[in-house]
Amino acid sequence: MAEGSVLMHEEKQHENVPVYEFVNVNSSEFHIGTFRDLWLEVLNPEVYSHCTTAPEVEDVEFIEEMGIEPKTLEELKNICGADSLKSGHEDPDSLPSDPHLSTLKLRKRRQDYKETLTRDTLDRHEVYANELEMLSVGKKPESPGDLVPEGEMVLSFNIMYPVLFQRFKRVRAFQTVHVLGSQRLTELRDAICCVSDLQVFGEFSSTPDMVPQFISKDHYKSAFFFFNGTFFNDTRFPECRDISETTREWARSRGFPHFQTATMEDTSFYDLKMKVGFPYYYTHQGDCEHVVILTDVRLVHQDDCLDMKLYPLITHKHRVVTRKCSVCHLYISRWITSSDALAPTDPCLYCDQCFRMFHYDDEGNKLGDFLAYAYVDPGTFN
Amino acid sequence: MEHFRDPVKTDCEELLSRFQATESVRYEQFLEIWRDMNFSSIFYGKPEPSERRRFARLILSVVSPYFFPPYTFQIRVGGLFLLYGLFNSQLVTPREKIRISLKDWKDVMQFQRDAVNAQHYDVVYIFRKLLTDKAFYFTAMPIPLFYREKKEDGRKMKICEEFVDPSSRPQELVTTDMLEEIANIHEHYEGLKKSVFAEPDPNLDLIQKNLVPKLNGAILTYSSWQWNRTDSEQQDGGEGPSNQESSRRAQLLASIKSKSYGQAVEASKSRRHRQTQLVPAAEAEFSQKVTSKKKRKPSLKTRTQYLLNTQGNESEGLNVTRVWCMSAVKEEKAPEKRKKKFNWNPEKSSDPT
Repeated sequence: MAEGSVLMHEEKQHENVPVYEFVNVNSSEFHIGTFRDLWLEVLNPEVYSHCTTAPEVEDVEFIEEMGIEPKTLEELKNICGADSLKSGHEDPDSLPSDPHLSTLKLRKRRQDYKETLTRDTLDRHEVYANELEMLSVGKKPESPGDLVPEGEMVLSFNIMYPVLFQRFKRVRAFQTVHVLGSQRLTELRDAICCVSDLQVFGEFSSTPDMVPQFISKDHYKSAFFFFNGTFFNDTRFPECRDISETTREWARSRGFPHFQTATMEDTSFYDLKMKVGFPYYYTHQGDCEHVVILTDVRLVHQDDCLDMKLYPLITHKHRVVTRKCSVCHLYISRWITSSDALAPTDPCLYCDQCFRMFHYDDEGNKLGDFLAYAYVDPGTFN
Repeated sequence: MEHFRDPVKTDCEELLSRFQATESVRYEQFLEIWRDMNFSSIFYGKPEPSERRRFARLILSVVSPYFFPPYTFQIRVGGLFLLYGLFNSQLVTPREKIRISLKDWKDVMQFQRDAVNAQHYDVVYIFRKLLTDKAFYFTAMPIPLFYREKKEDGRKMKICEEFVDPSSRPQELVTTDMLEEIANIHEHYEGLKKSVFAEPDPNLDLIQKNLVPKLNGAILTYSSWQWNRTDSEQQDGGEGPSNQESSRRAQLLASIKSKSYGQAVEASKSRRHRQTQLVPAAEAEFSQKVTSKKKRKPSLKTRTQYLLNTQGNESEGLNVTRVWCMSAVKEEKAPEKRKKKFNWNPEKSSDPT
């Protein structure tokens, strides 16, 4: 019996070590909780702790382990010190004048080319967007209860734009989110910002002042994740329905393997079996579908953000150019009209002031024939 | 950033081959070569936003594979030193880390044990220093994966053949145990034949009489030929591992290589309709490729010009107002700006090396 359990343990170990299913594309499936346990088994706790051991302690340990004399250690330190690697007097911001390395040659060519461009500096929006990742690095929480424990796993998810090849030629990540392994799926769901959540329904040409305050996010709360054959539904609110029902019925009638369901708020990431690099699925609002890819799973590091309250952490967000009003090109558009005889294009965007001035006279009567809808710009999340 | 991958690989391989030529695993030798090549300048240059960080990530991911099998011990030591050097000379803070996945950690531990047994103190010291500097990310896979099914174009990481031990598949196939077993079976077979037929019938001689000695002789000849061939370029695998150990390791390497290159990964059941096929070595490993549509739609400007040009040609006699350049006077022509796109891969002739 003991042999059997040892064998099973080894098998379990073996199947939970992630390997490539397709090289450089995605990995095989593995259970995240077990994967974490496997790492913690093989590592010395000092290696992944958040604090560094004092150098003197390290030295003593080294001497004992290797059985050498302190003099040898001193010699080693002299030879292998990091300072010996530096070349000394050079300025890292400028390229050496006579590069031998092929990397430097390429970089020089690229830099020379960039100098010929008239406009190669980024505006401040781009600079801020690029630095988003660095905002939260190394942040420590105020209360120690919020400190991320050592040995926690950090998962990175890439949430993609809706894959509509008719409209968008390139598949691009919209957001990159870091979550902790102990968090629930609902927290990931809340971190995903999609513009369709903010849409307001209804045609308001006759009543421009009566735009209702509710948004689609409050109205249609159902959502599900689809990971590896299981639909995880959001059941926190009473209005949430199981929108995966239709898909499962369809699959059953076509002879696909039976899919299971589970709830989002009871499942943490440690309970999941996932493939790294494989596209998974998130649906909300009934039909707004997003592809979600788990790009990376790793142990938390001293230099990461260590404040639990900040997770799920958005590390990268793709910046969308905001659409301005067609009339003034100054303000962000809030109205969209169609079948408008007065407008140059169909559909046409307006900011609030231009819209009112253009379509309504002083008493507020509607001029002309048109349909107006409230418009939420995709760049709201910048 | 991907364009920098090839030059980086060239530079690293140059450094590692020079290290291999020294036939030693001492850090001082490595440091000499590093200083001679001024390798820490690989990070220099005008800082562009986040370019330094991305470059640091790229170079660490390019060098990491040299630290793992199937490379030889000396190359792995060189890889470790190189990682140490790059980690400490990168210019971003907080520093980019080296990724190690779980499946490679066992090899790393084995490597450390080998170094300790062989008393390579500098190797062990440097590895421990990296651990205490928290230089590693302990991950699931060696690189972050985005499900990019790009066309390979032969850009896959080719293993530099000089850095790997010579293959020893015949030795792995014909081991002592295997020879014993074959000898046993041979004896049984001969015994059975004798018991069935009193006189040996020449028509029943289907196998060679001295199969086992012949096999043994062939393998020995092959291995001695191999050693003689590589004798002149044989690198010192360190004072530690003995011949036996190196042949065992060689067998392990050969088995790993054969596993990764000899078998196609079986696609999961959900992709039954697209099973992978074993394609000869020059091509990619899997046949599920998304053909990337690189045909770019002509830009609005070119389309407008094309449309208006054709219209203009039709009505040449008329005074056609050119809508798009009303402000420019005919005599004045803006100096032609040659806005060329940056060519990442120049022709060989124009790049003096």
